[in-house]
Amino acid sequence: MNARRNIFVASAAAAVLLAVAGCSTGGSTGASGGDAADGSVEGKTICYVTLANSHPYVTPANEGAQAAADAAGVKLTIVSEEFSAQTGADQLNTCVSRKVDGILFWPADENSYLPGLLKAQQEGIPVVAIDTRAGDESMKLVASFVGADKYDQGKISAQQLDKALDGEGGIVIIAGQAGNGTEIARTGGFIDELKASGSKLNVLATVNADFDQQKALVASRDLITKFGDQIKGVYAEDDTMAKGFLQALEESGLTITPFVVGINGEAGAFDNIKAGKQFSTILQPPYRNGELAIQTLIKVMKGEKVDAMVPLENTVVDKSNVDTLKPAM
Amino acid sequence: MTDLKAPVTVPGIVGARSGAGSVLGRISIPIAIVVLVVIGAVTSPSFLTPSNLLNVLNANSTVGLIALGMTFVAVCGGLADLSVPANVAMGGLIALGAQPAVGAVPAAILGLVVATLGGVVNGVLVGYLRINPIIATLGTGSVLLGLSQLVIGGGIVYGSPSAIADFVSGSALGVPIFIWIFVIVALILQPVLSRTAFGRWNLAVGGNYAAAAASAVPVRFTKGMAFVLTGFLSGLCGVLLALSNGQARPIIGTGYEFVAITAVVIGGSSLFGGRGSIIRTVGGVLITALIGNLIILIGFPTQATGLITGAIVLAAVGVDAYFRRKAGRE
Amino acid sequence: MKRVTFRTAGTRIVQYRLLVMLAAVAIFGAVSVNDFLTFDTFQSVLDRATVVGFLALGLTPVLIAGQIDLSIGSALSMAGITTIFMQPIIGNVPAALAGLAVGVLIGVINGIIVVVFKINSLVATLATLLIFASLALLVTNSYPLSSADPIFGIPLTSDLLVILTPRSAIFVAAALIMFVWLKATPSGRNLYAVGSNAPAATSAGINANAYLFMTFVISGFCAGAAGVLQSLSTAAGSPVAGAVMLIPAITAVVIGGTRLEGGRGSSLATFGGVLALGALTALLEYNGVPSYTQAVYTGLLLILLITLDRIVSGDGTTTSRTHRRGRVAPNTPSNS
Repeated sequence: MNARRNIFVASAAAAVLLAVAGCSTGGSTGASGGDAADGSVEGKTICYVTLANSHPYVTPANEGAQAAADAAGVKLTIVSEEFSAQTGADQLNTCVSRKVDGILFWPADENSYLPGLLKAQQEGIPVVAIDTRAGDESMKLVASFVGADKYDQGKISAQQLDKALDGEGGIVIIAGQAGNGTEIARTGGFIDELKASGSKLNVLATVNADFDQQKALVASRDLITKFGDQIKGVYAEDDTMAKGFLQALEESGLTITPFVVGINGEAGAFDNIKAGKQFSTILQPPYRNGELAIQTLIKVMKGEKVDAMVPLENTVVDKSNVDTLKPAM
Repeated sequence: MTDLKAPVTVPGIVGARSGAGSVLGRISIPIAIVVLVVIGAVTSPSFLTPSNLLNVLNANSTVGLIALGMTFVAVCGGLADLSVPANVAMGGLIALGAQPAVGAVPAAILGLVVATLGGVVNGVLVGYLRINPIIATLGTGSVLLGLSQLVIGGGIVYGSPSAIADFVSGSALGVPIFIWIFVIVALILQPVLSRTAFGRWNLAVGGNYAAAAASAVPVRFTKGMAFVLTGFLSGLCGVLLALSNGQARPIIGTGYEFVAITAVVIGGSSLFGGRGSIIRTVGGVLITALIGNLIILIGFPTQATGLITGAIVLAAVGVDAYFRRKAGRE
Repeated sequence: MKRVTFRTAGTRIVQYRLLVMLAAVAIFGAVSVNDFLTFDTFQSVLDRATVVGFLALGLTPVLIAGQIDLSIGSALSMAGITTIFMQPIIGNVPAALAGLAVGVLIGVINGIIVVVFKINSLVATLATLLIFASLALLVTNSYPLSSADPIFGIPLTSDLLVILTPRSAIFVAAALIMFVWLKATPSGRNLYAVGSNAPAATSAGINANAYLFMTFVISGFCAGAAGVLQSLSTAAGSPVAGAVMLIPAITAVVIGGTRLEGGRGSSLATFGGVLALGALTALLEYNGVPSYTQAVYTGLLLILLITLDRIVSGDGTTTSRTHRRGRVAPNTPSNS
């Protein structure tokens, strides 16, 4: 009973879809790349594959991007990969097949976007990467990267901790999501700087807490249980995770006061620096990141030349300037 | 019926098992706990310290609450409640998000209420409409989690310092409040399941739905209430986590449903219903907690946790199935 | 009279749910998005749906047999990792076969646990889900593996006959093959028998256990195929690739109409469900609907479909029919 009906339904469905599709094929919005001469981008479309719809750093970045697009009269479609590079790669492919005029994407890992980037290149659609670098192969296909230099942030953090601990002591690293470009850069920059400066800081352990406070809390509890007062310094790759560590520390009741350095310039971190619980953070304004990224992409769409990397400044915030600066989020 | 078919067609024996099966069933959890404690004491000097043990209990108390609720779901044959992460998130997000509007304590209560309402929706779908619990709770979970993020507008909700936040993060008599809450809830629910009419209804409904219905047991109400209870406890977990963290994100509950189900299964309750108790689940929570702690202390990579937990689940259920079949053949 | 009419209308909607959904999506899409109804869109939707589609396809025989397999996401991750890992060692195509083999292996393990050790499939595959997800993280140390030959897999998502891509063509072929097997071969019919009533099937001479075992192998194979296609297309073997796909796979199967009770189902229905879910997701995405709102729509759709299903047709067992008869109000004629 069901078989015949199912065949009928399925083929009818397919037929309907194809027939309707066939009726309107051919008339796609203009392929991109053109109009370089007159420089107008009004009414053009940009597809923005963002990391998340709902995240303390990404949300302001998305808002900045939207604002910049609105200011230029460009139609922005935002799709979110929700931290999954596989989804993002699919969405990149979709953007290309929609023949948009420009693509902005936020790499969640190094390589997954390569096929989509190759296709974009074939179609002549300019692409800009925001906030996190993808792998070298992928970055060759990208017109520009707009974001903070994460590797540099790792370097700066190493210098900060070195300064705070006078060059020696046990430290733990609370890293972000494994395999994520930001995590790779921030960890790499940190470790390389320690080696380069000949620092005697000793990395007791590295844990991945995926840029999440709850996970950092759980991981920190275990670190504190295991190493206790050996922990003289903590490098948390973002302020949310730094908060998780501080929470675990308070819970444990241990009277150690390790130096904690974080990144991102969150409001909570500012408070912690003022209170002496956190040593420093690095300000990286997300709204500006989004804004600048779209502006850069629009420049490329207009045919202007842009740098391979448009950096967001890294500003160190510690007790000396915490009162004069504003948190990024 | 909405149950998945177990390949064993031997009818489940409700209640006591005979011979070796029941003795082993009763002592296997305490033995497992003792074994884990011994392993811990032998392999790590920091294991048997009060701070470590309290730490372990504290970290698992909130998810333990969910396991308590999941016990009822399992016993009445409700299989599993997969909307737990959504209810945890709702509880937490509302408890903090509503603070500016109504104050800390009312916001926390509101969070509990909304999460419980989520449980009511599940209860209606599963209990009254007899929809498969896995699909129903997947659906409601998606909707609720999506709604909570929609309402928050993306990102983190920060809570302001408050007396109740300080309270739940603190301790009484040297024991963290989280642990007190877990113990008290367990102490309340244990007699509910094992001695009250409602508890007996759960066992009957899970053991043999048709027979229970024929005996005038309010089957739909019973099954539905299990999900309401789990919704409430998930919300409580979320509220507690949010207050103590000072912030809440929609992902705070991720994975908790699997942890809860694992604790229930390791404790010896069957997901197909008719068998189980709160004490068993508490045992299961302890075992899961100890495994996680040992992995850290011994220095195994944390990724191995799932591996070991999964293996233990298989072992626990396998041994149990073996003895039940033997009993069935007698 | 009124009741019969409502039920009849409701039944029709439920039966033709897929058609209704696709039509609705087509209409909304045409209205709200430029160039929604094009071959490009269809090609993109089908291509993106392929990986989840394979998972859903493999799940279908398992559900028909009255079981469930929650480990398909972890199997996908393991297969993907294996493929990428083996590429530099044994070559591209053998590596893909190795990935498939890993999927099959996990299916065999599931089969053994369920059939030989007689552990029910919900708990068994929950455990294997945990075990293999963990294993995937362990062997990669949580880092996604980068492919040594990223160019190899790129043609998988390129244009093929306007409306297909190589990987979606493979998916369509697999769906057709499974359809033929289920509906037109004796072994397919036996599977339905096993799913409806295993003891009866056994006494009729069908080896129920062998069939159950086979369904897990099929599910593992399809999850393996999904993992291979996924990892080759993205030139990366991610340990968490499959974790997020379990729920969409189950959703697609349910939308298609296959139920969790066993004895009923169809691979074409699953294919339709996959297509419908993919089309809906595309519609929402092209309209810039944030992912959390998408989840609300998908969840509501799931609940709506399954509730309609229940109200309109019941669960088909005598028990429920008895209930329904008992629930008819006293002053309503009992057969109108």
